[in-house]
Parts: sequence; structure tokens; C-alpha cells
Amino acid sequence: MDSRRSSRFRVVAALLTAAVLAGSLPAGAGEAPHFAARTGLVVATAAAQSWAVDARLIYVENDADVDSTGTSERWGYLFFSKSLDRARAYSVRNGRIVTAENLEMKFEAPPLTDAWLDSGQALAAAEKEAGLEFRAKQGGELSTMLLVRGVFQDGDPDLTTWAVVYRTASGPSLFVVVDAASGRVRRTWRG
Amino acid sequence: MIHRSFLVAALLVLGSNVAGAAGKTKPADTPAIPRDPGAVEVRVERARPQKEKHETLRFLKANRDFVRARYDLLRQMAINQHGEAGPIDPRFLSYGEMLAAIQAAGDSVEFVEDARRRQLLLASITELGELEARLDLMDKLLAEQQGRLGVLQADFTGRQQTALVVVVSGTPGSAAVDSIAIGLEDGTRRAVALTAEQREALRTGGVIQVFHGFVEPRVQVVEIALTGVAWPAGSSGFVELDPERDHLTLLRLDLAAVNADTGAAAIAASAWLHDETSGAGD
Repeated sequence: MDSRRSSRFRVVAALLTAAVLAGSLPAGAGEAPHFAARTGLVVATAAAQSWAVDARLIYVENDADVDSTGTSERWGYLFFSKSLDRARAYSVRNGRIVTAENLEMKFEAPPLTDAWLDSGQALAAAEKEAGLEFRAKQGGELSTMLLVRGVFQDGDPDLTTWAVVYRTASGPSLFVVVDAASGRVRRTWRG
Repeated sequence: MIHRSFLVAALLVLGSNVAGAAGKTKPADTPAIPRDPGAVEVRVERARPQKEKHETLRFLKANRDFVRARYDLLRQMAINQHGEAGPIDPRFLSYGEMLAAIQAAGDSVEFVEDARRRQLLLASITELGELEARLDLMDKLLAEQQGRLGVLQADFTGRQQTALVVVVSGTPGSAAVDSIAIGLEDGTRRAVALTAEQREALRTGGVIQVFHGFVEPRVQVVEIALTGVAWPAGSSGFVELDPERDHLTLLRLDLAAVNADTGAAAIAASAWLHDETSGAGD
């Protein structure tokens, strides 16, 4: 009798513990883990190399919200193949490619340099220079991070840069361009 | 080179029952093809399975005109910079040195071999000591050679790419198949018109390879299209595969249950991962 009561007690205790643990999990426990942009590059590159041997990475953008550490649940990677004259995008989530599609627009961008700072470092630089103040004073929020070469840097179009975009309901967005090699903020503007 | 190794690996997996695309036939008493123990059945669907669509590169698509205009502008800009050659991969530079070392090692080995012959003739105990030292040198040279081979192996065979091999077995009961086409989501499509020899190979229990190429390491739908008198416009079936990154995935299509009414949807498909640790590489 005692042993039966004891085992029943253990079952109840286990259920209670499980319930407490479940309750203590964060709200987003079911979401895929966040990761920095470079983390997803391995699987995206493997896919791109299967698609075209001359595929080169030309563009990176967050496909889901970026958090305060510069990580996101999903990142998009765009590759260009000169031999195919096409660009193909891969969206990576939780270490897996969840979307692969050809870009239906002509986009022959130059390849990114190999040595680019990861999204966390780029965001930290942007925050320190202007983002923090913009968010505090303008009620802005981080909306987009994109890595590209030659679009936002007139003086040195060969430079691979992170563009960190903050939006606000009260006015134009803030663009912070960060040198992807040095981490130095190159320019900021509202637009 | 990689493709060739894949083919060898596939042939090893399939054993001697594979009749290649060249149309080699199998004897009538060929035993049944052994199935890979890791093979899993794959369902062939009549219609292409729909997958959840995830939006990607939203900023780029929303601002495509701006981004393209920026690139158009860049092409017209004159840049006052001198072109500079990029650094050469130090590994490539080291290959020349390695070749020289290999040549030198070869000369040393020959020299030692000559000396060894002379030593045997002299049979002097003192000189035998020298011989021992030279044998040590040979050991050292061999060890260095092994090290160089290791470097080359790591550089050229260390990275495998994701690939798919599709093989076909069995012969349809009431409908002849004239050609088989394999279509991937990235637009790759390969069609193989079956020769009389290949049909005979299938009839007698052989296997033919209809596709061998790189694939993206992700969940994707592969289309299998059969054409023949029963299906002049083609009959398609769809299988969902998830090729593992940097591995070779094999997909086997058994046509035995296919007939004029069912078409490609009656294909029995199984897939498995090629185990590269089986020693094919050595």
C-alpha cells in the first residue's frame, strides 16, 4: 500500500515539475533559433555551388526580424552565376534552406568580399554611432540589415558594406552604412 | 573528377547488377538486386506537392529600382585606382616546392639504392652502419612523401558536394517506356531515351542510371516523367527528397508496377544515402 502511494506521489510530482518547467519556458520557445548572418552561409553556399559552380555571393538580407544582438531567425543569401546569367536566392532557417528561388530581376552585382564582419558586429557599430539615439529620440526600430557591395558607398564603390536601416512612424528612415571589413561607420542619412 | 568518384561509389553500392547508360545487358538468371538496408520508401505523388512559401529578400525586391539604378550609375563611374593582382593562394605556391621535393626525394632514393647494392658487395661491417643511416633517410623521405600526399588529399578530396543519382529498375507490364526525364526545382532537366539494350537490361533485372548531378541540399520535389505510346504527352510523378549536404543520395525507381492507366504515379521509389565510409575512396 505504502509503495503504491509512494509511486503515485512520484508520478504527481513529475507531472507538477513538468508543468512548472513548461510554464517557465520563454514565449517563443517554439520558434527557430536566431543566428548571425555568417552562420547560414555554409548551407547556402553549398546549395549555390550545386546550382552553379561559378556562383558568387552578392547580397545578404535578414528575412525575419533582427534582434538587438544582430541575429535573426531567418537570413536570405543571393548568389549570381555569370555562366547562367542568373541570380538565385536561398533563405536559411534553423540550419536548413526553407526557400530557394531564382530572382526575377536583372541583378548582376559584384561579389562580396570574403572577409566581412558578422551581423552582430555591424549592428553594434551602427547602434553606437546613430541607431541607439535614433531609437530613443525618434521612436525608431531596427527594420533591415543588408550586406552588399557598391550600392551605398559612392566614394569607394568597391567596398562591401552593411546597411542598417531603422524605421520610424514619425519620419524618414535612418540608414547607417558600416564598412564590412573594418566595422567603421562610413555614413548615415535619413531617407 | 568528383562526378567520376560518385559514379564509382554508386556502382559499388549497386554491385554488379547495374547496367550503365551505355546499354550493357544482364544475363537472364541475374539474382534480384539487393536493396540498401538504409533505403526508405519514397511516395510518388500524382500531383506536385505544395510547399510553404517563405518570403525572402523583401527589401531588395521592394527597392529593386533604386538598387539597379545604383549599379547602373556605378558602371558609368571612372575610378582613379590602379588594378592590383590579388594574393596567390599560398597552397598553390607550395605545390611547386612539393614537386621539387618529390623529385629530390626520388633522386635520393635512387642514390641510396645504388649505394645499397655496392654495400652488399663490399659486405663491410663499417659500411653496413652507413647503410643503416641511409635506410633511416629513406624512412624519413617516405614519411615526408606521406605528409605531402596528405596535404594534396585534404586540398582536393576533402570536400564533397551534394549530389543525386537516380537509377531505374523493373519493366512495366503493359506499357513500354520510351524515355525517362528527371526534373529538379532549380530548372535542371535531363531526359534519357531508352535504347533497346537498356530495355533488355531492365527486363532481365538490370539497373540503368538516368541522372547523376549536383543537387541543392534542401527539401525539394523531383519530377519523374515517363513517355511512351501509352503516354504520348508524358506521365509525371513527383517525389519529395531531402538530399543531405555534402553526401550522395541515391534514388531508385522501380517501374514494375507501372501500366498504361497508372503511369508514373505507380513507380515504387526508395532512397538512401551513400555511405562514403565503405572504403570506396581507398
